[in-house]
Amino acid sequence: MRRTGGQLVMLVAINCLLLALGAAISGGSFLSLFNLQSMASQVPEIGLLAIGVMLAMCAGNGGIDLSGIALANLSGVLSAVVVSSVLSGTEDQFAFSLAFIAVAVTTGFVGGAINGLLIARLDITPILCTLGTQMAFTGLAVVVSGGKAVMVGSPALLSSIGNDMFLGVPISFLIFIAAAGLIAAALKFTPYGLWLMLMGTNPKAAVFAGFPKNGVLVATYALSGTLSGIAGIIIAARNVNVKFDYGSSYLLIAILIAVMAGVKPEGGYGRVICVVMSAIALQLMSSLLNFGGLSNFVRDFAWGLLLLTFLAVGRYDLVGFLFPGSRQRVGSGAKPSSTGT
Amino acid sequence: MKATTKKILAGSVMAAALLAGSAGVLVAQEKPVIATVVKISGIPWFDRLETGVKAFQEANPDVEASQSGPATADSAQQLQIVNDLIAKGVNALAVVPMDPAVLEGTFQRAMERGIVVVTHEADNQINTHADVEAFDNDEYGAALNARLAECMGNAGKWTTFVGSLGSRTHIQWVTAGENNAKQHPDMELVDPNNESFDDANATYEKAKEILRKHPDIKGFQTSAGNDVLGVGRAIDEAGLTGKVCLVGTGLPNPSADLLESGAITAIGFWDPQKAGMAMNAVAKLLLEKKEVTDGIDLGVEGYNKVSVKQGPGKGLLVIGNGMVLADKATYKDHLF
Repeated sequence: MRRTGGQLVMLVAINCLLLALGAAISGGSFLSLFNLQSMASQVPEIGLLAIGVMLAMCAGNGGIDLSGIALANLSGVLSAVVVSSVLSGTEDQFAFSLAFIAVAVTTGFVGGAINGLLIARLDITPILCTLGTQMAFTGLAVVVSGGKAVMVGSPALLSSIGNDMFLGVPISFLIFIAAAGLIAAALKFTPYGLWLMLMGTNPKAAVFAGFPKNGVLVATYALSGTLSGIAGIIIAARNVNVKFDYGSSYLLIAILIAVMAGVKPEGGYGRVICVVMSAIALQLMSSLLNFGGLSNFVRDFAWGLLLLTFLAVGRYDLVGFLFPGSRQRVGSGAKPSSTGT
Repeated sequence: MKATTKKILAGSVMAAALLAGSAGVLVAQEKPVIATVVKISGIPWFDRLETGVKAFQEANPDVEASQSGPATADSAQQLQIVNDLIAKGVNALAVVPMDPAVLEGTFQRAMERGIVVVTHEADNQINTHADVEAFDNDEYGAALNARLAECMGNAGKWTTFVGSLGSRTHIQWVTAGENNAKQHPDMELVDPNNESFDDANATYEKAKEILRKHPDIKGFQTSAGNDVLGVGRAIDEAGLTGKVCLVGTGLPNPSADLLESGAITAIGFWDPQKAGMAMNAVAKLLLEKKEVTDGIDLGVEGYNKVSVKQGPGKGLLVIGNGMVLADKATYKDHLF
């Protein structure tokens, strides 16, 4: 908390700056309610995946989850195929939606648990394991769907997840915030959170201290998988159709968001709120460039620049440098207090 | 967090809130905006389409026409651009969908907001006002295959490439090609529908694999704009120029060397410039609440007498006559 409060300040400042810049460029329409809603409904897909990546990274020992978007697509595709073979999306709209959500979340959970079991029990390096399962999930989705888009339609409940607002906020965004909040609470207030961060900091010490290492790993990847399942539901609800190759660019963007949020790639530290702010920052920037009518190659360049900036902030205590009055104590990051979320 | 950082935090949040408050004053758009969104930016095909959008802009100063597209070939990225443009408040969208199915939900929301939606290369798009096609896709696929069969002497192994299995038109062309090849019982289709993702390098690698796997292969029918370049290079490097036939969608300028060397037998295309102009012309007609009727002249070469049918949804299907097949002898007439 102490060490990386600067990260959060920077993220909030960047978000405000981007909003201000957008307003200046578009003559205000960037801040119109409709655009804010439009951007808010675009964040959840990638934001959920980024939180999954963050959890895997926190587990340490080179933890990462590359299978996120593949699992999200598989959840959507499998659920659409299975549920529509039993129920009709136009007749039993409510039942269809509930069944769809249940199957998608279960698929995500099972897929994530498989990742966790492979990594914990067979001791496979996470990057290789999730790369393998990523291809397996994509392959399975291709087989199940025959390579075509699968129609989900707009049954009552799903359609409101994708399109409706609650008090002016898109429901998909509320789901994202709720999921993020739950995970943040789990990390801060439960033993699981403490175990995860300490294990990420020093896996060997964690084993000798008698932590349930395998349990924590399986739980972490299962959580990440469940988030992918939820992302799959939101994708299906918004796009009406699901397809195996949707969002192939999300893989790297999710990692980018996590790293920008100051999650330590070597494990042991990450804050959910930073990941949420970082996902929002990327969304604002990409919408901003679309508003400005700039090429999407500029966006890639800008994202890269933003990432480098954040790496510099994380390393050199830039906030303290710019505002000497607030210079923070560096070097206390390894303390358990860094589990603050 | 120390007090100063808290102050900065609070200050920036307040500044943003102030800006948000003052944002009520919208700058009025005097001209209707037609936004063209392509599958991917920065490749020759869609660069050519952009020249059409620019030409349309010059000819029609009473609208504002511009083009954008994702930097990576991912339907999710294209979806984001379309979402942002809708939020920006454009009056019409002219989209070449990466994957029509993925865009349905967004197009539906756009149409509900009163935005005119025109698509291209997506004759199965349900939520669109009009889909503009350069030609009948089945006829085009059959014409490509007929040229391939002629070169192969109506016999031998052949294969097909598509941009992606989700690219509907590509699948239509190769399917029409397959149907055409059925007239020639000696033509044997092997490993069909290879995905190229419109990447010349990936196509080159894949074509090399196929040439290794089937040393006796005689023909390739390709679909995405860059496929002929990748496959052509593989044929050229394997020293099979003249022995293996290659007919596919491609642009004359990038294909010129390989056409000259004979690695590419013939290229088929429609001019994306004209297609871009036609899309924008239809969008403008719809913006002006004019009707698009059968046989109407869009004022664009190849689209002077379009056939208008009912599409799969509520929208129209506008089919022009813009097919071009060019080989070594004729490609110079269409240099772009």
